[in-house]
Amino acid sequence: MRTEGLKIKNLSKAMNGLKIVDRVTATFLPGRITALVGPNGAGKTTLFHLITGELKPDMGEIFYRKKKIAGLPPYKVARNGIGRLFQDVRVFENLTVFENVASACYSERSETPWFPFLHIKGLRSFNRDIADRVMFWLEFGGLADLKDTPASSLSYGQQKILAITRIMAAGFSILLLDEPTAGLNPVMIKRVLNILKKIIKEDKSKTIVLVEHNMSVVTEVADWVYFMNEGRISFFGRTDHVLGDQEVREIYLGL
Amino acid sequence: MNYILHLLIMIGIYMILSYGLNLVVGFGGLLSLCHAVFYGIGAYACTLLMMKCGLPFLPAILLTILITGICALIVGFPALRFRGDSFVIVTLGFQMIVFTVLYNWVDLTRGPYGIPGIPRPVIAGYEFTTLPEYLIIVWTFLILIAVVLFIIYKSPFGLALKALRDNEMAAEGLGKSPVHLFLYAFVISGMTASVAGGLYATYVTYIDPTSFTLDESIFLLTVLLVGGTGNRIGPFVGTVFMILLPEALRFLGMPDAVAANARQMIYGLTLILLMFFRPQGIAGKYMVR
Ligand SMILES: Nc1ncnc2c1ncn2[C@@H]1O[C@H](COP(=O)(O)OP(=O)(O)OP(=O)(O)O)[C@@H](O)[C@H]1O
Ligand SMILES: [Mg+2]
Repeated sequence: MRTEGLKIKNLSKAMNGLKIVDRVTATFLPGRITALVGPNGAGKTTLFHLITGELKPDMGEIFYRKKKIAGLPPYKVARNGIGRLFQDVRVFENLTVFENVASACYSERSETPWFPFLHIKGLRSFNRDIADRVMFWLEFGGLADLKDTPASSLSYGQQKILAITRIMAAGFSILLLDEPTAGLNPVMIKRVLNILKKIIKEDKSKTIVLVEHNMSVVTEVADWVYFMNEGRISFFGRTDHVLGDQEVREIYLGL
Repeated sequence: MNYILHLLIMIGIYMILSYGLNLVVGFGGLLSLCHAVFYGIGAYACTLLMMKCGLPFLPAILLTILITGICALIVGFPALRFRGDSFVIVTLGFQMIVFTVLYNWVDLTRGPYGIPGIPRPVIAGYEFTTLPEYLIIVWTFLILIAVVLFIIYKSPFGLALKALRDNEMAAEGLGKSPVHLFLYAFVISGMTASVAGGLYATYVTYIDPTSFTLDESIFLLTVLLVGGTGNRIGPFVGTVFMILLPEALRFLGMPDAVAANARQMIYGLTLILLMFFRPQGIAGKYMVR
């Protein structure tokens, strides 16, 4: 059996003496949208911080492609292929939509200051290739018409789509999406969900982890659900099983 | 005429300084208060290499760039652990330390006595002494440096710096290493400032540490913020404005008794009004916070 994907083992983090993430073990598999649900303050965003290196875990391990990645700085985690949509979106406000996506397309090597001087001849075709790639992803996200707009003048929903497009353009295989539909109107939610479905349909090697409060969204796109409460994973399983569970309904849905 | 040539030479030197600083302040979004450190190290290194080691101007300048680059690495490495206000304070600290060293290391720098009699540049047997000749050499270096910097501004590296400036967490999440990229910017910026230092020293033929004080660093930052950061015209506009405005004020024909003070006050007031109406600088789009 192939168990590529992201594996988390016994991950713990305390802050101010409070266990925010408490011995979390989980596996996120490729070709699948896994939802991470739970009440406010459950520790979902903190779990993402631990995976992407914004926080260092007190204990536990994270395995990805047979490599241990817990405790690596964020840029190294990213270079291992793990990308993230932040709960607070974080587009590059003073850059255009095009530049936002372009900034995700460059390799580490091409971002050295000496790169243009070593490749003076090929620079034109290099720039053309990048522009083509950017346009491809802008079409993918439906943002092509807005390419010269500064990101700060996009609507909140467009910014979220831009941030998702950015991590797609970067070629990450693990996508950690922190509340991609929160604060969006139904039309924009539909667009985001279509993008997520398209990602999984077109590329079975992608792994999507989705933090989501909107249960109809979870039901619509997620194959698998982890339910998190007070820092712990208390349930996991197929979407209909977890959401049908009496205790989950009481704690979370208040039913 | 000589007066105008002198102004054009100084504008050339300050443009080299502000185009280099732009990489750190405008692209990286880091307010550095120690740019004059690298300007000063460049001036002293070039002077000493020419006078003590007997090197001709061009090899001296090349070595100066190298030495200053290493100094920028040493300063940048600890300084770039900080961001925002802390970064400003740390660079201020380095500014004070280096000034004190230049002032007190009398054996090397002659400290407050300064170094007189700095030779003029000789390139391929030709000595640049007159003002027009000096104008040519300064602007040649300016153009060379500007071309290199413009390529860097436009490169993926330049875009990565802007991404880090706008949102470091998101940029790092895309695989950009803030430490490496900011350090590159800081070192390149220091190296370009050292060229300005070498040109300045051989132009005025006398240097002492008072040319490279905190005041100078603040002035350089002001030039950039007034002109507008993160683009190619801001440093030009800022330099011309900040150097020509005080000169222009001389022609207002104020009574001698108050002229100097009045000029200073008008200068200050202009800056305040400018920030009030164009906080992003005359030619800027992006506002440094
Ligand atoms: N830096 C910090 N120091 C101390 N406590 C923190 C810190 N950051 C978060 N917390 C606490 O950790 C808990 C979990 O926060 P987290 O943001 O991970 O929750 P969440 O599940 O993402 O919630 P939400 O659904 O509201 O986004 C909260 O109680 C929060 O107050
Ligand atoms: Mg959260």
